[in-house]
Amino acid sequence: MSALTSIAGTSKNPFIRFLTSPFIWLIAPAVIFLLVMIAFPLGYVLYMSTQDFLVGLQATAVGLRNYLQMLADPVFWIGLRVTFTLYIISLAAQLVIGLWIALLLNRNFTGARSLRTILLSPLAMPPVAVGMMWLILLDPEFGPINYLLKVLGLPNLLFLASPHQVVPTLAAIDTWQYTPLIVLILLGGLRSLPDQPYEAAVIDGASNVQQFWYITLPLLRPAIITAAVLRSIDLLRFFDTIYITTQGGPGTASTTLNIYAYKSGFVFFHMGYASALMIALFVIVLVMVFALSLFRRSVQ
Amino acid sequence: MSDAGVRRGKPASLWTRIALLVQYLVVSLIILLPLLWLLTSSFKPSAEVTRYPPSLVFQPILDNYVRLFHTLPYALYTLNSIIVAGGSTVLGLFLAVPAAFAVSWYRSNWPATVSLMARMAPGGLYLLPWYIIFNRLGLQGTYLALALTHTVITMPITLYIMSSFFDGIPRELIESGFVDGLTMIGIVRRIAIPLAAPGMVVSVILTFILSWNYFLFALVLSNINTSPLTVAAFRFVGEGVTDWGMLMAATMVLALPPLLLAFVVQRWLVQGLTLGAIKG
Repeated sequence: MSALTSIAGTSKNPFIRFLTSPFIWLIAPAVIFLLVMIAFPLGYVLYMSTQDFLVGLQATAVGLRNYLQMLADPVFWIGLRVTFTLYIISLAAQLVIGLWIALLLNRNFTGARSLRTILLSPLAMPPVAVGMMWLILLDPEFGPINYLLKVLGLPNLLFLASPHQVVPTLAAIDTWQYTPLIVLILLGGLRSLPDQPYEAAVIDGASNVQQFWYITLPLLRPAIITAAVLRSIDLLRFFDTIYITTQGGPGTASTTLNIYAYKSGFVFFHMGYASALMIALFVIVLVMVFALSLFRRSVQ
Repeated sequence: MSDAGVRRGKPASLWTRIALLVQYLVVSLIILLPLLWLLTSSFKPSAEVTRYPPSLVFQPILDNYVRLFHTLPYALYTLNSIIVAGGSTVLGLFLAVPAAFAVSWYRSNWPATVSLMARMAPGGLYLLPWYIIFNRLGLQGTYLALALTHTVITMPITLYIMSSFFDGIPRELIESGFVDGLTMIGIVRRIAIPLAAPGMVVSVILTFILSWNYFLFALVLSNINTSPLTVAAFRFVGEGVTDWGMLMAATMVLALPPLLLAFVVQRWLVQGLTLGAIKG
């Protein structure tokens, strides 16, 4: 037990004991780093959002005017709509396709293992590289995808160059890159399912479809929601692929809130207004994650 | 979906096996064909890239890569990527390893919460104040600023991975260190770290990949001399290049290192991307 005294510190004074406990010294570098790089900037960005602040000029306090300006700004509402359209299309596609591939991989057959490895490639790539690759693949004039469509006798599409097709196209690119993440999460869930319900179902003569619908899907719900939470965090902040391919265009057709906030701050240098937009986006992410967590609790 | 319920054991009929094979091929091709096109295009003369039907058999040339590194400072950009990703990986390791040991030994839970919070914020939320602060300090465009900001990505991941590796060390081994009169730092250095060495390798590779791939911070905080490959690629695309062979070579240079490294750490990649929400 002498070991435990050296862990807890020896002084009677709780503050001295606190300061001399090895726990504090071990976590101190990490905590200081987080305070300097995360906590202080977060406080500062809150302050910035109450300032009229153009880079290079003196800032003036404006209270909540940036937030009021945001609510009256049509581009903010466009950004909100684009963000949620992109989010819902992508998440729905990724969950459905991800579930399909996970069920496929859960079957024992030759090749399942190599498919698992193949699935890692899009995940490992920088989103910037994925954006560049698809920018060329989807080029309306010379891209191979439109060549493929022509060979199949289908009409050619404008993809990223069209204000109507750009959001579904970006959703498709994100689906190509990140569905594997959902597959691997759900596969983990499938592997840990108990056998007994299936044995009982077989005895009762339940069909495969019934087994999927009444056993697999309900039991897999926690894993599905976990995957949805993780994808929600990233999809609501969708940035890299858009910025490399369209920078929010054509016009404002792919200007998500994150793109708009970035441009406000670092293209137009309205730092105060950009801070307010970023904070609004952060609040939206927090609310969505909170809502999904509540949903998870209610289904468990 | 009809095969959903049948899970283990049962021998599948011929038709089921064919259906499985077809689905398997469809999924594989959708993932692999774009990558194959990227790879082959980077080794074709630019005029050949847009020739249809695309030639599958061709004489591969290194011309695109040679021009990329000769007409543009791509050697510098590659070096910048290595410096930033390497620097933030090492810094993250120094900050996170002692903390991970403490977290694991005292069974503390806060790092998971903090990491998740930090991960939920849009990067721009930090970037706006950082931009002002680094400008005031005269650090704008320096490697130091880039490595520090990327450490915000690497540190939580190292913390998570190392604490789960430290969890695997039997408590008696650590306690025997106390009995032998080692200090806490001594125990971390002489007992915990050697035993968790595989965890260090996984952390280093994984955080290097994620830092290498990260785009937003360097987009604002780097200058023409310190920009990593991600930002260089963005400028390259922005110039409206028509030289697709060279553009695909630039994409390959950016994408290949993380792709190769990812296969070394396979199941940990998913854990890193989900910050431990999932055990692989």
